[in-house]
Amino acid sequence: MIDYVSTILPNGLQVVVNRDHASKMAAVTLLYRVGSKHESPDRTGFAHLFEHLMFRGTERVPDFDAPVQAACGENNAYTTADYTNFYITLPRENIATALYLEADRMTSLDISAEALAAEKSVVVEEFNQRYLNQPYGDQWMLLRGEAYRASHYRWATIGLTPDHIRAASHYEVRAFYDRYYQPSNAILSLSADIAEEQMIAMAEEWFGDIPSTPAPLFTPATEPVQSAPRRLEVERAVPADQISIAIRMEPRTSRCHYLCDLLTDLMAGGESARFYQRLVKEQQIFSSTNAFITGEVDGGLFVAIGQLNPGVTIEQAEEAVWRELLTFATEPVGAKELEKVRNKFEANILFGELNVMNKAMNLSYYAMLGDMSLLNGEVAIYNSITPEEIMDFSQKFFRRDQSTTLVIRSKR
Amino acid sequence: MPAVVLPDTIEITQAEEHRAANGVPIYALDCSKQEVLRFSFVFPAGTSWQEHPFCAATTANLLSAGSPDHTAHEIAEALDFYGSWYDVSVDRDASVISFCSLLKFLPQTLALAEEILLHPTFPEEEVDIYRTKRQQRLAVERSKPDFCVRELFARRLFGSEHPYGRSYPAECYDTLTREQLIEFYNSHYTAAGSFVVASGNVTDEALAALKRIAEGLPSAPITPTREIPAPVSEGSVHQPFEGTVQTSIRIGRLLFPRHHDDFIGMQVVATLLGGYFGSRLIRNLREEHGYTYGAYCGVVNFDEAGYLAISTEVGSEVAEEAINEIMKEIERLRTEPVSEEELENVRKIIFGEVMRILDGPFGIADVTIENIQNGESNDYTSRMLQTIKAITPADVLALAQKYLSPTDLITVTLGG
Repeated sequence: MIDYVSTILPNGLQVVVNRDHASKMAAVTLLYRVGSKHESPDRTGFAHLFEHLMFRGTERVPDFDAPVQAACGENNAYTTADYTNFYITLPRENIATALYLEADRMTSLDISAEALAAEKSVVVEEFNQRYLNQPYGDQWMLLRGEAYRASHYRWATIGLTPDHIRAASHYEVRAFYDRYYQPSNAILSLSADIAEEQMIAMAEEWFGDIPSTPAPLFTPATEPVQSAPRRLEVERAVPADQISIAIRMEPRTSRCHYLCDLLTDLMAGGESARFYQRLVKEQQIFSSTNAFITGEVDGGLFVAIGQLNPGVTIEQAEEAVWRELLTFATEPVGAKELEKVRNKFEANILFGELNVMNKAMNLSYYAMLGDMSLLNGEVAIYNSITPEEIMDFSQKFFRRDQSTTLVIRSKR
Repeated sequence: MPAVVLPDTIEITQAEEHRAANGVPIYALDCSKQEVLRFSFVFPAGTSWQEHPFCAATTANLLSAGSPDHTAHEIAEALDFYGSWYDVSVDRDASVISFCSLLKFLPQTLALAEEILLHPTFPEEEVDIYRTKRQQRLAVERSKPDFCVRELFARRLFGSEHPYGRSYPAECYDTLTREQLIEFYNSHYTAAGSFVVASGNVTDEALAALKRIAEGLPSAPITPTREIPAPVSEGSVHQPFEGTVQTSIRIGRLLFPRHHDDFIGMQVVATLLGGYFGSRLIRNLREEHGYTYGAYCGVVNFDEAGYLAISTEVGSEVAEEAINEIMKEIERLRTEPVSEEELENVRKIIFGEVMRILDGPFGIADVTIENIQNGESNDYTSRMLQTIKAITPADVLALAQKYLSPTDLITVTLGG
């Protein structure tokens, strides 16, 4: 249970604060509602490149990291399809430094041509290191490209190709900043042992004078109706064949999200879960398996994935996964199995409330979703799911004509 | 810019030491109002103790694969049912078996811990499945340049036959037997050299239960010993790696084991060079040249040896330039005293990092385990910070001159 106070400043900045009574640290996050889904299809990877540029300094603060470090702090950021989140932890006494720095780069970012050029090549190296220089590194790019046709979720946050990053112009950087890096498009969250009203007063002090502009609008593209299974097979220099089966989900706040989340836990939440017990240990079809949801706001992907043991064919592996998925449509989940995943949600939530940064991240995330009641309300949603509902849902959801299958065959 | 306050010192919870009847120390860190407890059992059972390839990690990972009363599935089922977090980690020297539980399921979690730690049966079929799975996972890992360069660097640094440097072909799993695991368990999972750390909401009942489990560990008939010969570096090398667009670079040298007088000073040197975002390596390789996404320098210590390593992955076409720049930065450390300003910044980096790690019961447990391995109480952390406060630019220069001579460094590259 995380206590919080939430308010919106006149310029549109949402401020959410939590008082932690134990920690000597303060956590500050500033979330902007801009991610890779806001990009133009010929400039993919731009939101993530821009996240890097936010560390390239302003006139008053030429190097963002130096004053954070001088305050014994640490900071970083990440970009998703839906949003970009900047975060700082530092000793509680120095919280004003974090607010000053975030307010400063919200209004005064100053990117030179040299800085842009150097940062582009850093991001291209990140592209290489994480996506090209790793076995299976391009799998998410391939899977997204096949599962989505219209949605901007069809590319990964790193982008479709390093060429898009290389082509980003100084003018585009400026326009992106002016459009998205505005108080009305942002959420500030704080967690520290400081009175709530004092934290809100500090937010007003540092951000209150920033002029407001209307929040940019975003309408997700409607995916065309899928009427047949989709399939992509590629060959790569990987040590084992791999199969992934993906199905598009409804938006993050829909019932579909919670059902899929619970289902993936039944499938792959730990060694006792069905995939590991049946597909890895009993049938020995896969050396490793997983099932998860990607969790995007406008509807992410349900994904089941496995790496095949030598001697197992793709067809056998695929049928084995579908057998498991379809079992949920025909047999009710046992009470004990359901209680197990509920206990797990409860434990994970409690383990996740042990430090200020996790709490600040949760505050800004649920504010971004637009429903703060979910912050402490999701356990109740999971607890309300019955075996009958899981069966009903599975009958509708696990359909081959709604699925996308990616097969990566080993070249060796 | 708002004024900054510097913490003068950092408080760390002291571990309260208890002892089981057979002498196993149990350290309690009562440091949380949360309804959770974490406890870790630490055994001298890391990879340098093994006589057969993969034996140490396999033994640790299969502790939960069956007991006289329960199958692997039943144990996994129970751990998951209570939402208990179970973790096994094996490094060169030690294996650490950790549990974390909600207080309301603590009795059940402790009962499971007792089965896992004291009564493992290592069933044949579980060993078979594990072998297949791990062989394949190792094949996956060995298709990653970053994994291969780590193994290669360890071989070149310590020697390819040295217990700290050795790597084995995946086929060695084929000859690993259940009997070898049982033998390793019997000789290394004993009261000799092991200890327990509990953190979070440490109740009297929990403490009593942990004592009971520890007392179930047999007193070893013979205290296990191992031969760690002096490492012999095999020098620099380049290894081609098919299909990569990057080159992985590791530069480093052997240093000293845990608890050497220069350890803290060398941590400062390594942090200055590449221990944080904004370090000299990051500024040079990433910010100025755009050669890389990241670059790092750190000091690692084991019981009987240690090393310093610089690591980065760069575009293959600029690998040579990147190495030159790294060498230039090392030369700069050896010839120019660091400014008081930059040194003060590094002190703050280290202070901040320690404060962040200590924020929460899990981090405090990790720090405590490391201090105990170094033969120290948690006062060590406070003393370390005082030493770092007192270090001067002349000290840093002297350390760099002493330890970073180019002739002592080896360079290992893997890639295009």
